[in-house]
Amino acid sequence: MDTLKQIVGLSALPAAVMDQIKLLNSADANHVLGQMASRLKHEADGNLKDIFNNALLRAKRDHTMLTFEMNRVERALSEAGVIPVILKGGAYVARNMAAAAGRRVSDLDILVAFEELEKVEEALLAAGWEPEETTDNEYDQDYYRQHMHELPPLRHAKRGTVLDVHHALLPRTSRFSVDVSKMMDAALQLPDHKLKTFSEIDIFIHSAVHGFADGALDVPIRTLVELFLIYNHLSGEDIDEIVSRATDLGAAVPVGMALWAVGRVFGVERASASSGELIKPYRYLIFKWAVLSKTRNDISAPFAKTFLYVRSHYLRMPFYLLFPHLIKKAIAWRPNSKTPSELPFP
Amino acid sequence: MTLRALKSFDRRDLHKALKQGSFTLQLGPFSHLISGSSPALLDFLQDTYRDYSVEMSPSDVTEVLLNIRAPNLFRRFIRPQIMPDPGFDVPAVPLPKRMAPLAYEMGMNLSIALKCCRFVNIHAGVVADDHGAILMSAASGSGKSTLTAAMMQHGYRLFSDEFALLGLDEPLVHPYPRPISLKQETIPIVRELVGADWLSKTVSGTPKGDIAYYRARPEDLARAHVPAPVKLILFPKFETGANPFAQRLNPAEAIIRLVPASTNYSLLGEEAYKTLASLVENASAFELTYGTTEQSIDLVKQLTASH
Repeated sequence: MDTLKQIVGLSALPAAVMDQIKLLNSADANHVLGQMASRLKHEADGNLKDIFNNALLRAKRDHTMLTFEMNRVERALSEAGVIPVILKGGAYVARNMAAAAGRRVSDLDILVAFEELEKVEEALLAAGWEPEETTDNEYDQDYYRQHMHELPPLRHAKRGTVLDVHHALLPRTSRFSVDVSKMMDAALQLPDHKLKTFSEIDIFIHSAVHGFADGALDVPIRTLVELFLIYNHLSGEDIDEIVSRATDLGAAVPVGMALWAVGRVFGVERASASSGELIKPYRYLIFKWAVLSKTRNDISAPFAKTFLYVRSHYLRMPFYLLFPHLIKKAIAWRPNSKTPSELPFP
Repeated sequence: MTLRALKSFDRRDLHKALKQGSFTLQLGPFSHLISGSSPALLDFLQDTYRDYSVEMSPSDVTEVLLNIRAPNLFRRFIRPQIMPDPGFDVPAVPLPKRMAPLAYEMGMNLSIALKCCRFVNIHAGVVADDHGAILMSAASGSGKSTLTAAMMQHGYRLFSDEFALLGLDEPLVHPYPRPISLKQETIPIVRELVGADWLSKTVSGTPKGDIAYYRARPEDLARAHVPAPVKLILFPKFETGANPFAQRLNPAEAIIRLVPASTNYSLLGEEAYKTLASLVENASAFELTYGTTEQSIDLVKQLTASH
């Protein structure tokens, strides 16, 4: 787990140049090179400085795009009288959190109350967003609306940017249920904006829920680095409160796992201690092994990936929904055909 | 390990370094870590990159990583194919193994074009003398490479035939003198101009037709770390039978033409605009129309004499 400590600057970079190159390559492939750059840029010189500089410039552009998109969403929804909660990357950037520095962002996620969903979709469609093409078919549209925690993704017709509109943090069919209305009640308005984000403690809880109660931990290194960066900058009061807040919201298990991972991977003792209060240390052993194995990408990683994939589907929906869904997707599956686009050089 | 001209290494060392992925090429503002054990690639590097500075294991971290590999296990052995892998998804088609030089050059270009944002990248030919640099931006087939090669015969050193790399904080263009890629009918023209010794073997039947590379000269490489201010921006336009003519462009027109030639303008946004604005403010811009290479050289000579 030295790699992750090196990425966030807790351990020194490896001595051998080839090992440094491998580390940078892995950070880049796992979309955390920018976070690494923002934490280590002051110690870098030579080629490393150029590489970090490049990563930070790229992230800066993402943040510009995101800030602009937030402004457009605010404008589209304020007429409808809706104040959305900005989630994930958008929230980190809007709150200027440590987790935002250098982070790549590809789309904007917002959360609105379920009752407002129809109104919000109408306002966004009127303001130039359209159903995103890959999910713009009857089956996917219906599936999202019936079973998921978000609308099918929207893409802005002119700017091409993707917007996910959530009404909950987990699919309706998920085996976990997190009380999102309490989190929305505690959400904080951004100064001078008709936009909100969760409080910092709830931002950590959401990140934990997203990483450990939903999906197959597809980007384990990014997920863990992000959890560490958020946790590391929580106030002392927030850290004291995290166990009771997670229990109160019904997120004890995913938050317990996230705290376990932060404690285990980055050596944060306080996180390990809090984890012990949320989940019993001898439980979820296979899951814990799978998280570490997939993060290390070691020899058992293929098994870990399979386990996490199956688990993610088990968590996401009951079997009577899963089987027809997988059969439908298997029939629709086609191998990607790559058509090279025209580029201005040979 | 220290940097030395590629030709001073023997083939076995080169092969070993390429195979284990520790072959390092230092050029202009970038260092590149290359792997790929194809004999066609090795032949190409030994010929066309003979004067370039390389080392067999990197002495510092590298910005560009490029692996020239088979698209899958099957294609490694049966009707072998090869493709560039710069570590992220690129729109590259697998090529027959003998076209490794093309896969390599494409991979290098894609790495810089799609990943680098330390510079404003403009698809352009750039040459320079002691007074400053000339930037020539044109679409494929407009005679840009021929013009670049011809300028090199008239006392200019090569900066690049692919990219004008403009610094973000100072309005200078940085040299990146990779070999000049020549297509189809330009190959005999440039061979005539510079001598057959300077051209690589022709790779025939590629998706872009026949391709050959004109390698940079030792004097181009010796000063590949020295940036220069741009004094002239040219938009060459080859038209059969045209009368040679230079049409002056105002700064706004020049920017409008440079933006679509940039691979990262929209990515960099405001900073790219500021860079281009200061570029056109300190240089004169012209559209050149010509019907022969000689005419284009004469036009450029007249312009450099008066600017």
